[in-house]
Amino acid sequence: MSLPLKDSLTELSAALEARAQSAKAVVAELRLHENSVRSGALWRSDVVIASEQTLPKIETVDVVLAGGTTRARLAGRDPGTNVAVLKLETPAHTALPAASLARAGSLAVAFGADGAGGITAHPGAVTSVGPEWHSRAGGRIDQRIHLGVSLSHSEEGGPVFDSEGRILGISTLGPRGRVLVIPASMVERVIDPLLTNGRIARGWLGLALHPVAVPEALRAACAQDSGLMVMSTVSDAPGALAGIAAGDILLEVGGVPVTQMRKLAGQLGPESVGHPVEVRLVRAGAIKSISPTISARPKNGC
Amino acid sequence: MGAEIAPASPIPLRVAVLSADAAQRTALAMLVRKLGHTIADVSDADVLLADGVSALPDHPPAVMLGRGDFDAAGMLDSDAQPALVDAALRAVAAGLAVRRREPVSTHFAALDESDQAALLTPREIEVLVALSDGLSNKAAARRLDISQHTVKFHVESIFRKLGVTTRAEAVAKGLRRGLVHL
Repeated sequence: MSLPLKDSLTELSAALEARAQSAKAVVAELRLHENSVRSGALWRSDVVIASEQTLPKIETVDVVLAGGTTRARLAGRDPGTNVAVLKLETPAHTALPAASLARAGSLAVAFGADGAGGITAHPGAVTSVGPEWHSRAGGRIDQRIHLGVSLSHSEEGGPVFDSEGRILGISTLGPRGRVLVIPASMVERVIDPLLTNGRIARGWLGLALHPVAVPEALRAACAQDSGLMVMSTVSDAPGALAGIAAGDILLEVGGVPVTQMRKLAGQLGPESVGHPVEVRLVRAGAIKSISPTISARPKNGC
Repeated sequence: MGAEIAPASPIPLRVAVLSADAAQRTALAMLVRKLGHTIADVSDADVLLADGVSALPDHPPAVMLGRGDFDAAGMLDSDAQPALVDAALRAVAAGLAVRRREPVSTHFAALDESDQAALLTPREIEVLVALSDGLSNKAAARRLDISQHTVKFHVESIFRKLGVTTRAEAVAKGLRRGLVHL
């Protein structure tokens, strides 16, 4: 028999284990029904955060925390940032650590609920940290953080810690099962509006758009190579009401050339709702200007 | 060239049916027989068709209807069409796994940004919309009031820009992927 080894690897292991112990106070298990759980993070003494896309249409849910089970009301959800806010009936003791910024290459641990009142731990690395990005559902996310771990649907939405035990954000499954982190700063920003209003208003024109090359003949007049072609319009929505029609090619919205979809998404933030915006477009070879009044994106998202 | 491949004849499977609900069990058994398979005991079956159960046996491999968090070899919606159930039973009995492809919306995705070099022109998009409606070149030409030759020219340009070789791929890559509701 050789003596048990004690080196940096065992130290790392012990540190990860200690981190998992302290994470238990933050991981929340959402019991949707038998055999079906979701993960969340106890963010404030009476607020649990979860991944919006993993939750069905529910009003209340049982939440299992380290200190016991309590009922929670789904107070608000935002598909744009993939944040759902649950308000606990009985406040719990929270130990949410300070927020931290992700750095590529650093170690991180994603935690989830194991379905039996315990936690799962997935250590890995922050594989990349990108700039601000726009989600398909219309949200603007501060940073694009990828995590080199794999998570199941039931673990998605749990807290992600950095190596110093500070919180990076909540985990989210992106395309092809890649794990993204919704930054803690982003979560902080939407909690109170979601608690108050249940949703985050986003600007909406009611247009189905496709990127398109501006026809050669018009390039000189437009001063840009690409725009957004209107494929269809939603009736009684701002675009259609102002006279925007299928076949129009949007060039500029609010003075910003919409050469890419995110340029338009950037013009339709929460603050844009209720305000008119000037849209420059090409119709039948001529450039026109139309000013729809941006409304709030309806709940069904279309 | 290799040996000639004979088309597969549909061999009936031995299917065990599992459900906590007796009426549902009867309905599943009827479906299995209608698909041309025979009902068998779990111990003797090629594949299991299960609905509304809380546990699955290790053997045989199972097709699970409705949502369950078990790791069944096959998982289908509870209202899956008979032809889909049949396809899943056969695939799972053959040792494959069957999953419904998750709709795009269940993944938190970024706004797709098209490759600026591969952007289609308005006319090409109109042609692609016609293709997505299942129109032939001839019908597309009639709808857009252009010659068939011009449609063919546009289709070739679309294929080249998108790097695809079939109409279905062109529609998926050039139209559905780029469409955003704002």
